[in-house]
This record gives sequence, structure tokens and C-alpha cells, in this order.
Amino acid sequence: MPQTGYIIIAIAIIVALVILFTVSFVVYIKTPAPKGCERGKGPNCENCEVASCRFYADAERRAAKKLEEESSKKGNE
Amino acid sequence: MSYVVSFILAIVSYMVIDNVILSRYFGICSFIGVGNKVKSAVGMGLAVTFVTMMAALVCWPIYTFILVPANMGYMDTIVFILVIASLVQMVGFFIKKKSISLYKTLGIYLPLITTNCAVLGVVQNNTAYDFGRSMANALGTSLGFVLVIFLFACIRVRLEGANLPKAFKGVPIALIVAGIMAIVFMGLGGIIDLGSWGLI
Repeated sequence: MPQTGYIIIAIAIIVALVILFTVSFVVYIKTPAPKGCERGKGPNCENCEVASCRFYADAERRAAKKLEEESSKKGNE
Repeated sequence: MSYVVSFILAIVSYMVIDNVILSRYFGICSFIGVGNKVKSAVGMGLAVTFVTMMAALVCWPIYTFILVPANMGYMDTIVFILVIASLVQMVGFFIKKKSISLYKTLGIYLPLITTNCAVLGVVQNNTAYDFGRSMANALGTSLGFVLVIFLFACIRVRLEGANLPKAFKGVPIALIVAGIMAIVFMGLGGIIDLGSWGLI
């Protein structure tokens, strides 16, 4: 086979793998997590069971701060 | 010598003697990053085992039957990276869809494995082996990863309550522990004479 043929096959393999990766990535991202396993930054962290995650700790802190602010607002009123 | 004995010895040697983390220095980032809680360390270890086995199963035939006959062995690294990344996403997709319990155990760690060089290292080494030995390499290496990350997490949990100087707390003491563990594993080097068993 001429050199050009090998180059075309190499490019075709890489393109095919990139397409495969893109499709599988999109499918993975679009698939919703099972019930009870929903995770995410910010407010969704309250659903997470992984207490060692730093986002979990942040969410806990934010929730406590919010509660504090609400109680202080009520006190002012 | 029976092939089974050779296979088992290869697994033990890749697991303990030629350990992926402590001898070959692959997967250090997840070792330090995730190895601070026993539960997450075991979860990460299981996920690495699963993906390494799958990657070895898929990448060896691709290299042997597609890349080598087409005279494109030089493309192995980029092909393996893309295959591993796609494989991780596909496995994650199926786990999300089909197995809630598996998703709870592995789900958080699966995307992290795409960047775990231990998996790529195993697959790269396998290009020089036959299929049986590449499977032994994949299994032994991933079991070695689980063993070491589990032991490391157990030690780090105990160190959290230890009275350490401030400068040593956190990652510094973790690195010292990793160094001591590497020395301990180095002492196991002579257990199996790999040459006499035809493993070198």
C-alpha cells in the first residue's frame, strides 16, 4: 500500500475514535442519574450522600448561612 | 510448567512485586487524592479494576489485529487514550441506566478514571505481551492498585487523629507514608524469581 493510504487510514481511525468518544460522552451526560443518586454543585448537593465531597461541605455551610440569615431577618421584623 | 501456575505467579508479581503505584509510579494523583477515606479508596480501586480489565480486553485486540497489521503501531498511545475515554463513558452510561447499586459504588469515580495513567500504563505494557499475559498484567496491576490504596487509606485515617507537627499534616505525611510503603514493597522483590518462571 502507498504511504498516502496508511496516512488516510490513520486519520480515519482517529476521526472514528473521536466521534465515538463524543457520542459516548454526550450520551453519558444526557442520561439522568438514577433516583436518589442525583448529584451536582450548589443546591443539588443536599441530595448527595457523599459527605467527604468538598461540594457537600460547601452546600452544608451555605444552607446553615441561609438559615442564619432568615432567622436574623425574622428577628429584625 | 503449567500455564495456570505461570498465570497466577504473573498476577502475584504484578500485584505485589512490580506494584503499579509503588514501583512504577502510575496513578499517584488518585492515590493521594482519593486515598484519605477507606470507603472512597475501595470505590476508586474497584472502578479502576473494572476499567483496567475492560480496557485490556478491548485494546489488546485493537493493537494486535488492527494497528500492527496496518503498520500503525506508532499510533498506539492516542488510540488507547481515546478507546479508554470512550469505554469509561459507555460503561458509565450502562451503569447509570441498569445498575443503581453499582452506580452508587463506582459512579462518582468512573469519570476520574479517564485521566488515570495506571490504566493507560497497563494497556501500553500489554502491547509487548500475548493475550494471557496481558490479562494477568491487567488483573494483577488493578489488584495491586486496590491493595495499596486500601492500605494507604487505612493508615491515613489513623493519622488524622495522630498528634503531628503542623508542617507534616495532610499531604506531607501522606507522601512520607507512601515512601515507607514503597520501601516495604521493595522488600518483597525476591519472593518470586520471575526469570526462572519465564515471566521476564
